[in-house]
Amino acid sequence: MQDFDLIETPENVELRQPLAGIGTRFLAGLIDNLLIGSVMLVVAALAGLASYGTITDIVETGNWANAWLLAVLLVILFLVYWGYFVFFELYTNGQSPGKKHMKIRVVKEGGGAITFTDVMIRNLLRGVDAIGGYFVAGACMFISRKVQRLGDLAAGTVIVSENTTDYTAMRATAGRITWDQPITPEAMEATGLTPQEYGAVMSYWWRRPELTVEARRRVLPKLLRPIVRRVGVTLPGDSLESLESFVFTTYIRLAAGGQAPEEVRPEVAPIDVHPAAAADSASANPTLADAAPAEAAPVDPAPAKPDLAEPGPADAPAADAPKEPGSEPGPAENAP
Amino acid sequence: MTPARFIETRKNAWARLDALVRQAGRRGTAGLSSAELHELMRLYPGVAVDVARARMYGIDTRTQERINALAVAAHGLLYRRPSSRPGHAIWRFVMFDYPALFRRLLPYVALAITLFVVTGLGCYFTVRLKPSLAYRFVPEAVDMVDNNPGLSSDDMIERFRAMPNAPLAAGVITNNISVAFFAFALGITMGLGTCYVILMNAMMLAGFAAHFVNNDLGFQFYSCITAHGVLEIMAILIAAGAGLRLGMSVAVPGRISRVASLRAGAKDAVLLVLGTLPMFVVAGIAEGFITPSHLPGEMKIVFGVVLGFTAIAYLLLAGRMRRA
Repeated sequence: MQDFDLIETPENVELRQPLAGIGTRFLAGLIDNLLIGSVMLVVAALAGLASYGTITDIVETGNWANAWLLAVLLVILFLVYWGYFVFFELYTNGQSPGKKHMKIRVVKEGGGAITFTDVMIRNLLRGVDAIGGYFVAGACMFISRKVQRLGDLAAGTVIVSENTTDYTAMRATAGRITWDQPITPEAMEATGLTPQEYGAVMSYWWRRPELTVEARRRVLPKLLRPIVRRVGVTLPGDSLESLESFVFTTYIRLAAGGQAPEEVRPEVAPIDVHPAAAADSASANPTLADAAPAEAAPVDPAPAKPDLAEPGPADAPAADAPKEPGSEPGPAENAP
Repeated sequence: MTPARFIETRKNAWARLDALVRQAGRRGTAGLSSAELHELMRLYPGVAVDVARARMYGIDTRTQERINALAVAAHGLLYRRPSSRPGHAIWRFVMFDYPALFRRLLPYVALAITLFVVTGLGCYFTVRLKPSLAYRFVPEAVDMVDNNPGLSSDDMIERFRAMPNAPLAAGVITNNISVAFFAFALGITMGLGTCYVILMNAMMLAGFAAHFVNNDLGFQFYSCITAHGVLEIMAILIAAGAGLRLGMSVAVPGRISRVASLRAGAKDAVLLVLGTLPMFVVAGIAEGFITPSHLPGEMKIVFGVVLGFTAIAYLLLAGRMRRA
């Protein structure tokens, strides 16, 4: 489950920033430290060359150019060691190269950009966090509520993941439904779904590529059951394949304005379904055939014309549905 | 309004704000023209409210996430602290804010000084009364004295002359600043780590001094360390005071939460330690250029003492005029 940092805006709206996990931060740190290490190695080698056999020579012959070069190299060594993170976090607004690569960023807890003082605090305390190969930092992040190391706690900073905040990464996988092309009211009406049901179905479709076949097989029937009961549609069967194909033709393509090209279709077929596993789950799970439309029909007097304007309490089961995929142990992050 | 209607009416605003945020990119608001900036300010509050409305209408979670992400991005652009000119900020800090901060946190620095002096005196008199203990405290000093019979202050200073002035100063400055940073950072262990740094330094200095005095080399010793040592020890003790401030905020948070207390303490403490940097630079230059020089020992001692008093005067007096 992803953790969030909440931003209270002056508009009284809560915005949510997803926090970066320990693993991501560790990898970012690894990249940064490798960079620091290699730069320092080069500078130290140069310093070694500048001083090799010449320390006494310099004193005796007065080779001051060499002496000053050595002094400058020593200062550079210091600046790289203590200043690397400070420099990058200040001038790229919270992203050292490693963090940039891992798509994470330092921000002020509760929103806002970090200040000079914040950057100094979190990076001077890095020395303590780094004890035992960042063991202290790891333990602290494990305990703290917002995945903060000591430096973060003291500076009041959090590391947010921009994997999801970077909305260019949120490419639609379901046909042509993108940001620039939200669902038209007509298309929505054509699907015959309530907004909650629609949201549930769409969420499933967005996340489908990230879910395992098992997870999909478990979730989709649960998701469709209330819809079947209310709308009274007939499902083509109860295999994952046929259900997904039904969802695609009935809802997804319509939502895309009926223009989704056929080429998107092949994606629908579930990959690598082991026949035995499929048969297993089919018999183990209560199938949709049991929740037949026949018994569901009387529940809703006008199944064909769902009232879009008033999502009443009758829709409660459907509103719960979107939460189902989230509770699955499937991959939580977005696919890159 | 239906959710579909909601999306329909708002999608242009989202697309436009999205375009503006993208255009601003990493340059921030500097990447926008004045008209675009106004547009951003006009669009953002509406989109922030859309986040809540999208939740209310229960539209699909991906679109919700995207509106949220858009609002976060715009919020980050707008509520960024204005950056002042760094040169001006540093000048203000050095001339006014830092001495004032120092005076406010003087109790912590005084605590560090007390720890240092008490330990130092204890160690000094122990070694004076029982010279053999020097072998435990400061084997290096024993080495230096015992292997060089008839040590003069010039002999001792030769050690400083083994390295050219500039790299010596650079090495000393960077090393001392690192020590100061650690003295500060270790404060987060409720001050224990900082105390360790203070005690180690006190024992080292006092042990050296006592052993040299035991061997009638007191003047040689002081003429060798005073030029840079006074200011250096002062700066280290101020950094240690910063560490104690940090430690105290963790150990004794008072009526606020421990994390909130730590945050307030860290803000004070990090500035206190950053203000020592100029002192370390001056002390390092003194160690690189005055200490190894051929000036008479008395002059070096006077130089060091004057340097120390100048620093004290700066810390206690600078910036007072402003308030009056």
